[in-house]
Amino acid sequence: MPIYVAQLGMVLAVFVMLLLSAAVMVYSERKVAAFIQQRYGPYLVGPRGLLQPIADVIKLMFKEPLRPVAADTAIFFLAPILSATAAFAAFAVVPFGAESTFFGLLDEPIKLQVADVNVAVLVVFAITSISVYGIVLAGWSSNSKYSLLGALRSASQMISYELSYGMALAGALVLAGSLSLTDIVNAQQGAWFGFIPRWFVFVQPLGFAIFMIAGVAETNRAPFDFPEAEQELVAGYHTEYSSTAFMMFFLAEYINMVTAAAVAANLFLGGWHGPFLPEYLGWIWFLAKTAAILFFYIWMRWTLPRLRYDQLMQFGWKVLLPLAALNLIVTAAGVIYFGN
Amino acid sequence: MVPLGHYLILSAVLFATGTMGVFLRRNVITVLLSIEVMLNAVNLAFIAFGRTLGSVDGQVIMFFVVTVAAAEAAIGLALVIALFRHRESLNPDVFTSLKW
Amino acid sequence: MATDLLLFYLFGAIAAGASLLVVLGRNPMHSVLLLIVSFAALAAIYIGLEAPFAAVVQIIIYAGAIMVLFLFVVMLLNAHREDDAAPPAGVTSGPLRAGGVLAVLLVAELVWALRRAARGGDALLSAGPGADPAALQSVRALGNRLFTEHSLAFEVTSILIIVAMVGAVVLARRES
Repeated sequence: MPIYVAQLGMVLAVFVMLLLSAAVMVYSERKVAAFIQQRYGPYLVGPRGLLQPIADVIKLMFKEPLRPVAADTAIFFLAPILSATAAFAAFAVVPFGAESTFFGLLDEPIKLQVADVNVAVLVVFAITSISVYGIVLAGWSSNSKYSLLGALRSASQMISYELSYGMALAGALVLAGSLSLTDIVNAQQGAWFGFIPRWFVFVQPLGFAIFMIAGVAETNRAPFDFPEAEQELVAGYHTEYSSTAFMMFFLAEYINMVTAAAVAANLFLGGWHGPFLPEYLGWIWFLAKTAAILFFYIWMRWTLPRLRYDQLMQFGWKVLLPLAALNLIVTAAGVIYFGN
Repeated sequence: MVPLGHYLILSAVLFATGTMGVFLRRNVITVLLSIEVMLNAVNLAFIAFGRTLGSVDGQVIMFFVVTVAAAEAAIGLALVIALFRHRESLNPDVFTSLKW
Repeated sequence: MATDLLLFYLFGAIAAGASLLVVLGRNPMHSVLLLIVSFAALAAIYIGLEAPFAAVVQIIIYAGAIMVLFLFVVMLLNAHREDDAAPPAGVTSGPLRAGGVLAVLLVAELVWALRRAARGGDALLSAGPGADPAALQSVRALGNRLFTEHSLAFEVTSILIIVAMVGAVVLARRES
């Protein structure tokens, strides 16, 4: 099979995988929430409620698409598309396994990744910063006060936490000496003293913690879900959206979570490297790590109460950012002192 | 390989577009946006020259230009907010008095 | 080899067209959005120029930070449209027209000057050993250059940023 066919197949596979992961996330979010709150959760549609996400999608698609009279039509329709596109695009540079020939199906091995870019980490970052626009434009173009407030909150929150997010991951970049996600993952191969995996989380515990917290804020999840704080803002930036447009925001939100978790697994948890499994089954490790981080996100959402908005800003600028800077300085000094 | 001249002509067109905006528009925000267009034209020329000369210095200077652009936007927009608060207008022709 | 020329024309046209609409548009919100489109097209051109780092910086800082600032101000001031009313007394449309003429002259002048520079550059390109794409793309080389040769400029820039930050806070603060 020629290589470009395989690569096209890879693009398609990643697309379908992301769609499926969003469906799985919706289901597990509801099930885990139900478990934490001692309810049953969805159980009627399909065995154990497994088909619930599909029912949700069908329900949403058959709803009436509404548009506020005073809305800026072009931007109102553009915003959800932008959100969803950015969410899908960010995953393009994230590797999820070692090179593989698919059991000899291909002549030469291809990377389990859509595109291997030498500035992959920054590309993820750039696309995340574009996804702010989806939210801001949705809020502004709806011409409704709740939407606007949600959008403003979301934009300032995402910009504030992007700094700590970037600085926390810079620690891992310094350790690996590369901006390519593949190189960073491969720098975490092997083990110390034969049993501790060489994952960056063990040398960068603070960096990992900051990265996770900032990641939650970046994806607008509880306890940082101010853009859509139901009690204050109805539904925040997507108050005025319904039907397919709403579905796109929903999809983008879950895919952003998956991407954030996958990037965290690659940067700090050694990606597809791990004990017990051979290299070509590494993607199982990758999936397990990503799923663990995602479970942690859900767990956090249904356990912790929402902060106050000014506390969130204070925390981001006065605690997280200085800590991230300190972490970066110490890491850089350590790399120079110990010569990597 | 795209010849250097193509990049430089695109850069010239962008720069002129920005200049036109600065002179023609009567909205402070659009004027600031036009300045950003001009800065981008300069960046493009720097990077194109850098590629031709086989040096990363073009990108280094682009980096500095972006930093200056960020500072300029922050100050410029702060001024816009302050002015708008006093005059309820974004038209630069309204801001004619030295003191109020 | 023709594909990169084609891509250049595509993204160049997008960048030029979007910039023109930024300048001519009446709605500041649309202007801001079109400028982001122009920036994205320029980022694509930078990738063609072996400068992926510059492309990413362009998106992260320009599109992701500076433009969000503009968007914020446009949203907060809520001044949707430019006044089409006549300019206040003392300002005639003469200077405005002169600006248009000046821009056209500027294009002509720049094209003339840059064509000469380009001829020299292309001669250099065909004569010299040619740029090594890997060296140009290397972020490490860029960092080395930035923190050795240009370290003074780098430090001065950081002071500039702090001054701008303090200045912006002072200017935009409401007097109590």
